[in-house]
Amino acid sequence: MKIDVDIRGVGICAPGLADWNCLLDAFTGTELNVNQPLEMGSLLSIRDRRRAPVTVKLTFSAAQQACDMAGITPDKPIAIFSTAMGDMDISDYMCRILAHSPDQLSPTRFHNSVHNAASGYWSIGVGAKGDVTALCGGPDSATVGLIEALSRISDTEQPVLLVIYDGIATGPMHDLFPTVYPFCAAFLLSRPVAAPPLARLSAEPGRGPDSVPPMPASLIERIADNPAARVLPLLALIGGQTNRPVMLGAEQGPGILFRRREA
Amino acid sequence: MTLSCAAGVGLSAIRSAMHEARTGLRVNDLPHCDLETWIGRVDGVEDIRLGTRFSGWNCRGNQLAMLGLEQDDFHTSVNGLKQRIAPERIACIIGTTTAGISNTEAAYRDLIDGEHFRDGYLRPRIHSPHVSSSFIAEVLGLGGPVITVSTACSSSAKVFANAARLINAGWIDAAIVGGVDSLCLSVLYGFHSLELISSKPCRPFDRNRDGLSLGEGAGFAILERQPEQSLGRLLGWGESSDAHHMASPHPDGTGACAAMQQALDTATLRPDQVSYINCHGTATPINDRIEAAAIKQVFPDPPPSASTKAFTGHTLGAAGITESIFSLLALQEQWLPASLNCDTPEADWADFILTDACQAPMEYVLNNSFGFGGSNSSLLFGRV
Repeated sequence: MKIDVDIRGVGICAPGLADWNCLLDAFTGTELNVNQPLEMGSLLSIRDRRRAPVTVKLTFSAAQQACDMAGITPDKPIAIFSTAMGDMDISDYMCRILAHSPDQLSPTRFHNSVHNAASGYWSIGVGAKGDVTALCGGPDSATVGLIEALSRISDTEQPVLLVIYDGIATGPMHDLFPTVYPFCAAFLLSRPVAAPPLARLSAEPGRGPDSVPPMPASLIERIADNPAARVLPLLALIGGQTNRPVMLGAEQGPGILFRRREA
Repeated sequence: MTLSCAAGVGLSAIRSAMHEARTGLRVNDLPHCDLETWIGRVDGVEDIRLGTRFSGWNCRGNQLAMLGLEQDDFHTSVNGLKQRIAPERIACIIGTTTAGISNTEAAYRDLIDGEHFRDGYLRPRIHSPHVSSSFIAEVLGLGGPVITVSTACSSSAKVFANAARLINAGWIDAAIVGGVDSLCLSVLYGFHSLELISSKPCRPFDRNRDGLSLGEGAGFAILERQPEQSLGRLLGWGESSDAHHMASPHPDGTGACAAMQQALDTATLRPDQVSYINCHGTATPINDRIEAAAIKQVFPDPPPSASTKAFTGHTLGAAGITESIFSLLALQEQWLPASLNCDTPEADWADFILTDACQAPMEYVLNNSFGFGGSNSSLLFGRV
C-alpha cells in the first residue's frame, strides 16, 4: 500500500518557532528566540485567549496557519488532533483537588479535561460540523495521527487538517514527562490536486527507527524533548531541507516512510 | 466479540440481563467517593492479577480490560484470526476516556512532600491515555497500528469507522476494536460538579429522569472483511460535530441528525428499514429530549428505540462498544431490549421509546453515541 499525498499547508507553534518561515530560518541555522510568547492566532476572542485551556492556546495558531497557507476556510476540513498527554495542566489540577477537596472541582475545568478539548474548541471556534476527532498513540502520537490522516485521504476527497501537539507537565507528572518546550505542528493534506502543493509526498508503511536528516542542534534537541516534535524531519522533507526518504517510526505497530515526489 | 460491564461479565450474562430486564446498577460503593448516587461497577476488578509479564501495566482500566479479554473465548478467536492474517496486518483501536487516571489519582493522594510520586507510580505509560490500547495490543500480540480514540462518550463507537477506513485503505486486513473505561473519582466528581448525576438509578426517557448513573465496561470485537464466522455486519457509520458547546448538545440536535443521516447514507438504507435504535440516552433532562427530537427529524416514523444505560450505567469511553454489542445481540436474538426504568414515558415526544422488551424480526439497527466536545457518532449494523 502506497499513497500520494499533497501537503497544501503547514503551521507551527513552539517557543522560537512562531510559523513556517521561522522554522525554515531555523533549519538554516537561525537561533531560536525562546522568550517570545506563543502566537495564538486570530480565531480566539480576547476573552478566550485568557481563559482557554493551554492545549487550545498551543494548537489554534498552527491549525489556522495550515488552513490559511492552503487557502481553505478552517471549517471545511476533517480535523484530526493527536497528542500523547493532552492537557497535563488540567490533569494536575484535577488530581490535586480530588485528593483533598473533591467537592470543589470546577465544572468547567472538568469538561475541559477531555482529551478532545482542543479539537472540540476548534470545532466550536471555526464552526466545523464535519468529523473532528482526537487520537492518542502515546510517544507514537504523531505516527498514529498521520496514519489516520492518510486513511482519510484514501476515503474522501475532502481536505484533512492534522494537528499534532504536546505541552509540558505541571506538578509531579514533570518527573515522568520532563518535556521543556511545548510543540505543535499542523498539516493541511489532501489527495493530489491540480493546484501546485507546498510538497507532494508518497507515503507507505515501514518499520524502523525515525530518520533524522541533518539539522541544527537546537532542533534535534526538540525532537528528543517532545513527542510531537518527532515530525520535524518530515517538516524538513516538506521544506526541501532533505531529499532523502524520511521514516517516522513507532514503538508498537508500523511507522510511515515518506518520499518527496515531483508535483 | 465480548463484553463485560455491570450488567454481566461475558455475553451469556449480558444476554440473561437483557432478557430478564435486570439492572447492574448498585448504590455507590467506590472507595474514596461518598457521593449519593448509583454506579455500574464490575465486581472483582481490583482483584484481577495481570501476571508477572504485565505487572508493570497494573491499573484499574487494564485490570478491567484483562477481565474482558478473558471472556467468551476471545483469546481463542484472536489466535484463530492470527492464523489467517499476519499480526502486522491487525490493528488495535480502542476508545477510552479515563485510561489509567484512577492510578494517577491514587498517586496524588500519596505524594512525597506534596510534589513527587512514590516509586510505585513512576511508570509513565500508566498515566498516559494510550495505556489501554497499548496494553491490549501487547496482551493479544498484535503488530498493526495501535490507536487510542478519545473523543469522550463517542470514543468506542468511532473505533469502528477508524478500523473500516484502515481496512479499505489497505493498511490492515483486520482490527480488534473496542473500548475500556473504569470508574474513577475524576468522572464521578466531575459529572457531579456539572450537576448531571442522579441520586437514584438512571431513568432514560422517563418523565422523572434527573441525571445519569456512571458505569464501567470493557468490550471488544473483531472487524474483518471476510470473517470465517460473522456475528453481525457493520454497514454504515456517521461522524459529526455540533460546533456548539463543550458540554451541552446543540439544542436543535443538528450534529446528531447529521451523524444518523450519514450512517444511513453510507449503508444505503432508508430510515424505514431500521428496526431498532439503541439511543445514547444518558437520562439527563436535556440530552434525552434533544436526542428524541433528532431521531424524529431523521426517522419520520421512528422505530422502537431504547437506551440500555440503566442496565450498565454510562460507561463513557466504553459506551460505544457496550451499546454496539447490545445492538448486535439484539440482532442475533431478534429481541429488543427495553429502556429500563422508563416507567412514566414522555408521551409527547418520546412515544417510540420501548418500555417493554419484545421479540421482533429485524435486519438493521442503529447505535447512537454522543460526547463532550460535540462529538457524535452513529453506527448501522446489519444481521448476518
